[in-house]
Amino acid sequence: MEIAPALFLTGLIVGYFVLAGCDIGLGMAAPYLARTPAERRRLVSAIAPYFLGSEVWLVGAVGVVAGLFPSLKDVLFEGGMWAVSTVLLTGWLMRDAGLWLRARVDTGAWRSVCDSALVSGSWLLALSWGLIIGGLLSGGDPLTPFSLVCALTVAVLFLLRGAAFGAERLVPADGSASGHTGPATAPEADQAAWATRVLARTGLATTAVTAALVAFPGTGPAVDRPLLLAAVAAVPATALAITSGLSGPHLSRHTSAVAIAAVPLLAGALNLPLGTPPAGTLLLTGGAILPVLPLMVVGQVALHRMLRRPADDHGFFVTPPPQDSQPGRTVPVS
Amino acid sequence: MFEDPLLSARFQFALTAAVHYMFVAFTLGLAPYILFGQFRATLRRDGPRMRAVRFWGGLYIINYAMGILSGIVMELQLSLNWSGLHEMYGYAFGAPLAIEAMGAFFVESTFLGLWIFGWDRMGKWAHWCCFLVVTTTAYASAYWVLVSNGFLKHPTGISIEDGEAVIDDVGAMAANPSALLAFTHVTFSALLLGGAVIAAASAYHLRRGCDPDGMYQRGVRHGTALLLIAVLPTVISGGLQFIMYGQDPPSSGTTYSAEQIAAIEEGYGELSTAHALGISGDMVMMLSWALMLLVGMLSAGVWAFRGLGRWRWHLRLLAFVPVLPYAASVGGWVFRETERQPWTVRHHLTTADAVTDMSPLMATVSFSLFTSAFAVLGTVTAWLLVRFARLGPNAGPLAPPRVFDQDDEDGRTPVLRL
Ligand code: HDD
Ligand code: HEM
Ligand code: HEM
Repeated sequence: MEIAPALFLTGLIVGYFVLAGCDIGLGMAAPYLARTPAERRRLVSAIAPYFLGSEVWLVGAVGVVAGLFPSLKDVLFEGGMWAVSTVLLTGWLMRDAGLWLRARVDTGAWRSVCDSALVSGSWLLALSWGLIIGGLLSGGDPLTPFSLVCALTVAVLFLLRGAAFGAERLVPADGSASGHTGPATAPEADQAAWATRVLARTGLATTAVTAALVAFPGTGPAVDRPLLLAAVAAVPATALAITSGLSGPHLSRHTSAVAIAAVPLLAGALNLPLGTPPAGTLLLTGGAILPVLPLMVVGQVALHRMLRRPADDHGFFVTPPPQDSQPGRTVPVS
Repeated sequence: MFEDPLLSARFQFALTAAVHYMFVAFTLGLAPYILFGQFRATLRRDGPRMRAVRFWGGLYIINYAMGILSGIVMELQLSLNWSGLHEMYGYAFGAPLAIEAMGAFFVESTFLGLWIFGWDRMGKWAHWCCFLVVTTTAYASAYWVLVSNGFLKHPTGISIEDGEAVIDDVGAMAANPSALLAFTHVTFSALLLGGAVIAAASAYHLRRGCDPDGMYQRGVRHGTALLLIAVLPTVISGGLQFIMYGQDPPSSGTTYSAEQIAAIEEGYGELSTAHALGISGDMVMMLSWALMLLVGMLSAGVWAFRGLGRWRWHLRLLAFVPVLPYAASVGGWVFRETERQPWTVRHHLTTADAVTDMSPLMATVSFSLFTSAFAVLGTVTAWLLVRFARLGPNAGPLAPPRVFDQDDEDGRTPVLRL
């Protein structure tokens, strides 16, 4: 029973990395994958519905840390980690604001501001997650060479996840369904599929550098369980090795998920101050959360099933309001 | 101000909370109306009514986005700036917040996503049920936040072990009178606010002679009715909150002795700026309520003479009413929160002990960063809300999909389709 809350928290964080990795990674790759307005529209519509269902995993995790593991917070907000957490929050806000606001005003300048917020916010998020993991492993200092290389590796893993996701989602929706008269092929999806192999190789290289730093005296992390660290780190390395020989969405979809899921698990090599939540707290939170657990599962499964098909190019996050509407005047609808 | 991290942290929290609550209050007020509208539209298979649901739903989502962004900042700010609270009261104060995050927001956001993207992709009743879940969880999250906030005002159901608060009575914690009273008052005041906004947006369109399918005639009637229904329960539930005044929390004396408590409160004094702010908040709230009662009675009279939705002076008046409940909501919160001073957890933890020991640099960075982000995002959202409320049903973000002739974003011809 003691382990259940910790497992629950781990599940939330791993779920966040696996699911949000898709939309954060695709946001990072936007300048490369989407250059024309139509391509950008499709890319945003691939990301936008998805992020709603994935960021709640992080909101949930933050809540669980606040309620069940209050001493864990100090680790994340002490010393230099405070600055990284602030940057992470800034990136989160920028990205969300860009996505929510992009389709609300119909001018090119507005859209490019929102697109920049989306891209830079996604990069800030990925890099600060890397710095947090690296900083934790370096004993709370996010600015060691080891943490910096960690940040780079984690960013590559996010990109890989995003590219694998893009290879599936950037295929245009069935022309008849959306009324889209564009080309039937999807160069962006092909590009994303091709990028998975390049990214996997880059990731393998940065992982090797990270490993070298661990071996090099003085630069490596001071962890409590080095063997566990090595074992967990071997997982993304293997996944990357498999992906670097292949291209296309079929396998990279799974290997990128495995690789990115291992990132938060690296923290298992540390003796984090988890503490044991007292019985009253467990009773209250357990009693309130367990009954809604089925609803959480049903909602997430339904949302992700609905979003599995290729992205439409219209909808809440994509279609701007009509240009010709005047305040107060109503256009008749057929 | 940044030389004093305590002052800047207090001010920053007050700003974020006030902004967060303005959006949350509209969410709480509008959700039942959309639920009701969609129910009727679905039951009668009424297309025009469904278009009204899309209009109000569009406003709901624009508003919700800012609720999420500001909520995230609040949650992180509590961790960042108020570490004393978490060290000693984390397991007690944080538990309801954990439930709120998991049990309410997680479900709420997921089902709101289903609702947005499920318009034409799922059964009509399944789609309505998604919004039923959204509404229920919005109120559940308000309840759990207020349990957490009520704990600060009136800590019950806990005992102190080794300087750490542990929950020893789950029922007392969840049925904290401070939380239940506040929840009732928040619910009615949010409905009041929702009614005022619905009536105002409808009045704006009616004054311009725009009333597709009679949706704004219905809006002005429903909004006025909501206002009339909620105005008395608001004052009753608000007045009831005064019974908590002067009551010592049951756990009083377990951290500080009665003499120490008296000394701390003595040292704080009565005439602080915070206290003065609180009194003004209280006055704003009651004055707004009185004005709303006036508007409500006037509107009832106008309604009786069949002038509701037709008399131009009245429509013009209605368009300005939302200022009142928004001012009252912020004022009420400032009153409640400053009244707790000098305590963060009454009789247990002083505000000075709760604040994180921040360097002036950290305080400056965090304050300027989040305050400016909030100013920009809040302004943009408020502007968008007004803009889309004015644009009407065909331009809303949930309006039925339009099809583009060209692949290009610029210079395309939208074709309306139902
Ligand atoms: C539309 C908004 C609105 C209106 C018209 C009123 N209130 Fe209010 N009031 C709130 C919105 C609000 C609020 C923002 O929702 C608060 C803050 C905390 C809470 O529980 O509700 C609040 C707090 C609050 C408190 C503080 C409770 C505490 O310190 O624990 C009291 C005593 C009252 N109210 C009493 C009243 C009275 C007597 C009103 C009528 C004359 C009134 N309120 C109108
Ligand atoms: C310390 C105070 C608070 C914290 C830490 C907090 C936290 C949050 C967070 C993290 C979210 C975003 C959830 C998501 O991503 O879906 C949110 C939204 C929300 N909060 Fe708060 N909140 C606080 C105060 C309040 C209060 C006082 C109320 C109501 C009385 C409230 C009710 C809501 C609701 C209904 C939402 C849903 C978003 C919306 O509808 O706008 N919160 N809050
Ligand atoms: C949403 C509406 C809210 C508003 C407008 C609001 C307003 C304020 C104000 C004005 C202060 C400063 C008090 C002073 O320094 O004199 C404050 C402090 C604080 N509030 Fe709130 N508050 C809100 C909701 C909440 C909720 C729901 C919680 C807890 C769950 C909360 C927790 C705190 C804490 C921890 C502090 C700092 C410590 C203190 O000054 O006592 N607030 N808030």
